[in-house]
Amino acid sequence: MTAIKIENLGRIFSTTTGTIRRTRKDITALENINLVVEPGELFGLLGPNGAGKTTLTRILSTVLLPSSGRAEVLGMDVVRDTKKLRPRIGMVFGGERGLYWRLSGRDNIQYFADLYLVPPEVSRKRIPELLDLVGLTERADERVEGYSRGMKQKLHIARGLVNDPDVLFLDEPTIGLDPIAARELRAVILEMNKRGKTIFLTSHYMYEVDELCQRVAVVNKGKIALIDTPSAFKTMVADLEVVEIECREVSPEALARLRAHPRVASVTMENHEGAQSLQIQSPGGVESIPEFVRILEGSQVQKVITRQPTLEDAYVKLLGREALNS
Amino acid sequence: MINRLRSVLRVIAGSFTMQAKERATNQFFVGTLLVLPIIFTLLSVGTYLYGGKGNFGLYAVIGAGMMGVWNANLWTSGRIVEGERRGGTLSMLIASPTPFPIILVGKSLSNAFASLISLVVTFATGLIAFRLELDIANPAAFIVSLLLTLISMTCFGLVLGSTFVLTRNAGDFMEAANYPIFILSGLMFPLTILPAWLRPLSSILAPTWGNLALGASAGLVADNPWLIDLYLIGLSLAYLMIAQTLFKKVEYLVRRDGSMEVF
Repeated sequence: MTAIKIENLGRIFSTTTGTIRRTRKDITALENINLVVEPGELFGLLGPNGAGKTTLTRILSTVLLPSSGRAEVLGMDVVRDTKKLRPRIGMVFGGERGLYWRLSGRDNIQYFADLYLVPPEVSRKRIPELLDLVGLTERADERVEGYSRGMKQKLHIARGLVNDPDVLFLDEPTIGLDPIAARELRAVILEMNKRGKTIFLTSHYMYEVDELCQRVAVVNKGKIALIDTPSAFKTMVADLEVVEIECREVSPEALARLRAHPRVASVTMENHEGAQSLQIQSPGGVESIPEFVRILEGSQVQKVITRQPTLEDAYVKLLGREALNS
Repeated sequence: MINRLRSVLRVIAGSFTMQAKERATNQFFVGTLLVLPIIFTLLSVGTYLYGGKGNFGLYAVIGAGMMGVWNANLWTSGRIVEGERRGGTLSMLIASPTPFPIILVGKSLSNAFASLISLVVTFATGLIAFRLELDIANPAAFIVSLLLTLISMTCFGLVLGSTFVLTRNAGDFMEAANYPIFILSGLMFPLTILPAWLRPLSSILAPTWGNLALGASAGLVADNPWLIDLYLIGLSLAYLMIAQTLFKKVEYLVRRDGSMEVF
């Protein structure tokens, strides 16, 4: 039996525009999604904001209904079999909402243990274990309103595990966390996967998916653009090198000439306090560096380095640089 | 079956405790329990005394007490659902294995029992501020009627609470419904003053029968309080059935429209 099976799934949201004359408008959030996740797999769903990641997670965790197609989790239909399915899944949505701030961390987990019908003799043992797993034991009896964002996110994870779910849905669990808190949380996610949990993780952090996931699906504008392992995904850009150039005052003309260069696959530019960082994907990048620098003449080139392509580079190649900036 | 019942009772107890803990940290709610009943009592008893109807003091106190109880229950049906939606916990509760009405029962009962404080404050205000003689004719019937009133108002709150999952303005709706409920339930003045065509509406409201049962136990009206208590039990069961049916439809609608997290 598969952990998750999705067939031709679609979801349309209706919205209205105008105040007096209201016009209904349908927005397609997901279109014809097909996907299979095996038991014990740590599966990543990658995509820009608004791609449909959260919508898919909410459908799979029985919060939303699909508009078309069907989805099964642990062999149970997410629309019809909610009564049997809900005790066996856990969900963690990113952000600080979804907790009772006036209660302590322990009270929050205890309450959800009750709602998930966890027998008291089990919850008495499990709650301290979960608090220990996420490193909140010492602060467990303090009110959540005094927790940092990272602590709240860890509490979310502990809450999502209180029923010992077979499948755990994590929707952008490290969003807004500082690097250390995010790293600690990723360690917890890996540990849960080692313990046999199937994990369905959404993220738009490429390094996170690269580090954690055995397979990844890239979703864009409601459709799946690719499903593969992160290493296979990276082979899309295996023939490329990435040249990073730090400079100042890059003119639009220079940028356009760079993009039009026959040995350039793509260029992304980030601004940092008046300086620009150009990421140029190029076959045989090292040999082309003198040409790139010549094109950027007058742009005060300060540093040039080359590196191997990452998952992010593959993502940019697949979806275009707009996806990265969204 | 017994295990299932134990689980349900555990959820109700858990929701009851959780709501009590949250409420204890909410100074506004504590104010609602203590201050509003005094205002309601001063308003009601004062109006009757000014109108020369001093013998209606106990009636006014019971009415004011019921207003306090109802006001505390507002939190159940309106503010609780709105609070859960704003806090992002509504979708978690609805996607949990426990049916949402059972969760609401625990939270509602917690508020209903806390609202007893309002009743005590109301009686104390009547005794201290107006030196009223608050003699209860049938104390046993009064206590039973009070408990059944709290339960039936909780069940009424469930019907409203289940519906309020659909809207992001639940609290505002309840605020707006406050005084119409006071009037329609006879809490501010006797129902006989109301036009006849409004009375059928009064007869389906829990506060109407709660107020009547308490009035009858106190000896203010000639009706048999035990019979009214029976009606309260029937009304509570009807509310429960309506809430359960309604919530199935509501859950389908919020899952279809994706409106659980819109606020």
